[in-house]
Amino acid sequence: MANETRIMESPWDLTTYSWKVEADALNLFVKGLKDKKILGRKCTKCGTVYVPGTSYCRKCLIDIDQVVEVRPEGTLDAFTVNVSDIRGNPVEHPFITCTVKFDGSESLVMGTLEGWQDWHDVREGMRIKVVFKDVTTGALADLAYFQLI
Amino acid sequence: MKRNVAIISVGYNGRFVSKRPDVNIPELIEPAVTNALGKTKLKPDDIQAYVVGNMHTFEGVNGPHLWASDHFNGSGKPVMRVATGGTTGASVFQAAYYHVASGMYDVVMAIGWEKQDEGDSQVGLVGIVLPEAFTLFQFGPEMNTERGGVGGLGGGGSTGGASYQAMSYLSRAHAGIEHIDRIAALMRSNAAKNPYAHLQQPGCTEADIAKTPIITYPLRFGHTCPTSCGAVAMILVSESKAKKFGLTDRVAWVKGLGSGTSDPTTGNFVEGQITDPAEQHMCKVVAKKVYTMAGIKDPTKEIQVAEVYSGFSHQDLMWPERLGLVKEGKSPEMLDKGAFAIGGEMPINPSGGVTSTNAIGASAMVRVSEAALQVMGLAEGGHQIPMKVENAVAHGWGGLFQFVTVTLVGRTPVKS
Amino acid sequence: MGKRVAIVGYKQTKHSFDNLVSRERMVYELVKSLYSDIGITKDAIDTFILASNDFTDGRTISEVYIVPRIGAYMKDESKVESDGLNAALYAYMRIQSGLYDTALAIGFSMSGSEFRAPMINSYVMDPAYERPRGLINFHSIAALQARVYMEKYGFKERDLAKLTVKDLKNANNNPYAARREQKPTVDSVLGSRPLYAPLHEAHVSAYADGAAAVVLASEEAAKRITDKPLWITGVGHSMDTYYLGDRDLLRMDSLRSAGEQAYRMAGIKSPKREIDLAELHTNFASEEPVFAEALGLFKEGSGKEVVANGDSNVDGKMPVNPSGGPLGANPINAAGLIRLVDVCAQLNGEAGKNQVKGAKTGLAHGQDGPGAQQNVVFIVRREK
Repeated sequence: MANETRIMESPWDLTTYSWKVEADALNLFVKGLKDKKILGRKCTKCGTVYVPGTSYCRKCLIDIDQVVEVRPEGTLDAFTVNVSDIRGNPVEHPFITCTVKFDGSESLVMGTLEGWQDWHDVREGMRIKVVFKDVTTGALADLAYFQLI
Repeated sequence: MKRNVAIISVGYNGRFVSKRPDVNIPELIEPAVTNALGKTKLKPDDIQAYVVGNMHTFEGVNGPHLWASDHFNGSGKPVMRVATGGTTGASVFQAAYYHVASGMYDVVMAIGWEKQDEGDSQVGLVGIVLPEAFTLFQFGPEMNTERGGVGGLGGGGSTGGASYQAMSYLSRAHAGIEHIDRIAALMRSNAAKNPYAHLQQPGCTEADIAKTPIITYPLRFGHTCPTSCGAVAMILVSESKAKKFGLTDRVAWVKGLGSGTSDPTTGNFVEGQITDPAEQHMCKVVAKKVYTMAGIKDPTKEIQVAEVYSGFSHQDLMWPERLGLVKEGKSPEMLDKGAFAIGGEMPINPSGGVTSTNAIGASAMVRVSEAALQVMGLAEGGHQIPMKVENAVAHGWGGLFQFVTVTLVGRTPVKS
Repeated sequence: MGKRVAIVGYKQTKHSFDNLVSRERMVYELVKSLYSDIGITKDAIDTFILASNDFTDGRTISEVYIVPRIGAYMKDESKVESDGLNAALYAYMRIQSGLYDTALAIGFSMSGSEFRAPMINSYVMDPAYERPRGLINFHSIAALQARVYMEKYGFKERDLAKLTVKDLKNANNNPYAARREQKPTVDSVLGSRPLYAPLHEAHVSAYADGAAAVVLASEEAAKRITDKPLWITGVGHSMDTYYLGDRDLLRMDSLRSAGEQAYRMAGIKSPKREIDLAELHTNFASEEPVFAEALGLFKEGSGKEVVANGDSNVDGKMPVNPSGGPLGANPINAAGLIRLVDVCAQLNGEAGKNQVKGAKTGLAHGQDGPGAQQNVVFIVRREK
């Protein structure tokens, strides 16, 4: 049994990392957004459509390069109502962030949901469409939000 | 000619708590090891090999098992470190099982721990996606987090991610937030009967939980797990050793086990996400495999109790369904009729579960140790279920919503 | 136990200091070409064991984005957080258990271009005393060990330099190595930047980007996959005490014990005679004679003689690190597994200019922790 214990306060400052991250999927996605299109990639073997379009199919473990355009419409999957900010402070106007599944794709894409009055009425499976910014620049922010139809 | 493996002892370091400023990492582990040994006639040197693990980014020591090896008597012995996120404890346990099942060892100790007061758990969690998040920033997301922004970066850390799963689950099961409140209350009151549990709230009610603030709907503060410090150690032996030690009565046999992975979530912009976080197909696949291995045909009847890994309370409803213990979408109904309570027909987490106690690297092993104690009839402080336990299932969950482990322990070994 | 477990596939990346693709892509390409080399698909693999470390990846749960890349999507997998040879060891146990027929073991890291390895290594030290004092780290422990060996056995700085030249030349002949020293000589080694005396930069392994993978199979599965399986005849592993004051830096108790276990299992009575080559996970050139002697490959304290006679050269009595070893490439978490891959290549006569003639039985070693605190040993044998 120890009789004396001291607390050592120190930041955990490791080192700087130079991570390398494959960004093919994001690159294709923002290219599409610039033209107000939703682009993904389709696996030629199993037919899975990935949005954003990753460079390989994880089901088949093969590279995929077939670019496909999916309709900017789909169904609402899971969503959450943000009633506080990341620090836990209540926000004045709660907002909904959600995942949607575009028609003809298997992927879940995240964004903000608009077009509702009372969030208690929002249900999974509702139809949505993409609203792009008026002026697109080839950035993720070009996808302004998902609008309930 | 598979080898049967038995769990003969479980040791905790003491009660799990949020802060242990009086000890360092090795000193936190030591009592768990001593307690596990103390319940047997084994001496430290009878342990032939160790499998150990924690999530070391949460504490800031790279491979603390190296530093701690003397303290668990690992020096001079084979020691393997296994770590897989939330499932770490179960992965450590399963690796210890393979140490014995391979025939290489007869007596092996598995140890899982976390000392979360020494690091920043939120930093540890953010570290899972930091490179990907930075990449996302390079592609110009909406920066106004007041309105969510693309990628939902404003979504409240891991609770934000879990909220999507919770919402998806509620929608699938046609349930409401009140069901999450109810199961959260059950867990905290179960924890009050477990002398080792962290958040013990005797008689905690749905109303008590409903008073806590919402973080991101439908999850409240009362639905989330604490950050705990604690350690668990388990001793696994071969069938021949169990007989030699005269320990065939009060043991839990490992009858089936497995692990699996789907894809990292949520709303993964870098890789593209194709698995719904509430679907948890992998859990069904692994559970089926494990039950087949254990010779279980109807899990709803042949399994008496479950310990599931739920960092968030809605998961205590979701996992029993995915594990095939109740029909899909029926957990809320089972909860309402009292089936999940300690005295119910399918008790879920008599220990109080992860929402009451979460020392990350220990948590998934505590599911196995608690399942084993239920089989042995040794759960202390009133959380032993009244039914005789023939089989108990332990579940682990982790990664970025994608890893799952299932372990089935029972009173009689599988005949090979 | 007593089932036979084979290595039916093995592969390493061309290691480098400036890998331009992500670690996910690196691992994916490696695994894909391994599967294609041995004519299987990912579906033929029953279970997957990874080796990586959250600190060396700079990511919590470092395998999160890797598992789908190796074909483990919707499959059984786990991870050791240690050197890659531990992953092979765990995969071996899983097959021995009879629950799986085939397993992939893979280790990887971007320790050449993504972070400074010595910084990460220092985070192993206990945070309250040794880490802030900064006196004890991987480099200084190796220097202490080198000094003890040199003083005790009259091993001179020039002997160590000569041994280093051997490894650097072997690395130059190894197409997978990252490090290419132009015409390494005793003088160039001694002229390199001094670090912790007697260690210079040239003695330090080449922390690099890279990965290695092996496919293990039960006897029945091995016969389906290949007509030239390599058999794992012995394995052993052990942990030493953390506290330097309690360790004998020359005896290397944990390595000695790992070796003894592996020899016992393989039925090896005289490692000197029965082993044809050894690939050792040396983070520093000075570890080579210490490790080789602890494993009984050379007489205790014979370093000077071994170097003088060229006994550990490719054409020597007991070739050690014919690949150049980690001095040629040391991707943390993969280094020990690379040793195994190199041994397999030797046994199948694929080692090119570094080929050890007629090699039939090889030893692969992996280690983890300060001063090789944890050690793993594999004995692999070619049947015909």
